[in-house]
Amino acid sequence: MSEATFMGVPREKIVWHPTIDYQKCTFCMECANFCPHRVFEQREGDRRLVVANPNNCVVFCRACSKTCGPDALSFPDKQATIAQIKQMREQVSVQ
Amino acid sequence: MKTAVLSCTGLDKPEGSVAREAAIRMAEAANSEIICPVLLNRSLARYEKVLADNSLIVVDGCSTRCASKLAESLDLKIDRKVLVADALKSSGLTLEPTLRLETNGAALAQTIVDGLVQSLAAPAPAQPSGTSSTEFPPPGEYLIVTHDKFEFRIPVSDYWFNENDVWVRPLGDVARIGISDYMQQSLTDINFVDAPAMHLSVEQFGELGTLESSKAVFEVVAPVAGTVIAVNSEVVSNPTLINEDPYGKGWIVQLKLSNWPEDRELLLNSDAYAKTVKHKAEEA
Repeated sequence: MSEATFMGVPREKIVWHPTIDYQKCTFCMECANFCPHRVFEQREGDRRLVVANPNNCVVFCRACSKTCGPDALSFPDKQATIAQIKQMREQVSVQ
Repeated sequence: MKTAVLSCTGLDKPEGSVAREAAIRMAEAANSEIICPVLLNRSLARYEKVLADNSLIVVDGCSTRCASKLAESLDLKIDRKVLVADALKSSGLTLEPTLRLETNGAALAQTIVDGLVQSLAAPAPAQPSGTSSTEFPPPGEYLIVTHDKFEFRIPVSDYWFNENDVWVRPLGDVARIGISDYMQQSLTDINFVDAPAMHLSVEQFGELGTLESSKAVFEVVAPVAGTVIAVNSEVVSNPTLINEDPYGKGWIVQLKLSNWPEDRELLLNSDAYAKTVKHKAEEA
């Protein structure tokens, strides 16, 4: 699912998506099977799982990481992301 | 309360070994019955009486949550749950990469058992836990968003929403929090509520516990900042109340508001949330 804006800010300007730690990932595909927004894609080769559609990720959602047994998924700091969103909202409002 | 413990087998990760140890220690400390997950999966009949006579505690090792998923697949009612991976993060301990129980693993297992024994000793509150006498009237009229055969209700007034489908209903300096009708329908039957601790201080968009259904684990993203002053114990013991009455009896927590005027600027009113729901339903 692609959302054009989040809290009035263009989605593509908000950095919020999972990052895969390939040292931990076992390619069990629990996250890919779980996420209804098609953030992940399965590929051929050594890295069989990639974050193919980061902007499909629902901002502040971390549900996939709660399905990850090896704890291989991480997200940006929430408070820092909120601060960025607030800053961008202010920029939009003065334009 | 008589209890039975269903834990991870402990044969894949160090966290699993801790889960298994916690089950054994629960048997010793609280006379809990131990349920072997492999045997349960093979023969439910072996444990029918144990399950009928005891409240079920599930101890998962890692977020794969095999024990929880096994319980859900067998339609077992879970009374309490522990996730060792979460307990590990809270403890600040680290586990060695071995399936043998090390010192830190044993200490963590004991911490988990101590917490469970303490929670079992505390009487379950008949009313929402906490000290709040605020009366919230039931929601009034609803906006209806339709998509295909689905209808999603949104209260016309008094409720504010974040874009993570969590509502807040302020009343004076306190507020109730819950999830929207759209989200409860998306999750389908909710079978477990991991509520936040009383007196927890949360920032706007921080985490206010999780909800689990057979479809998903949902993080309750706080629409406002505040301090938890009540948890809806009826929802904790009967999570499908959220499905039945998401804006009324299905409220999850009550907060003492700390920054309402500023928080409200980042929230959607009913009309704006209706547009968001329509968009989400079309894109899903």
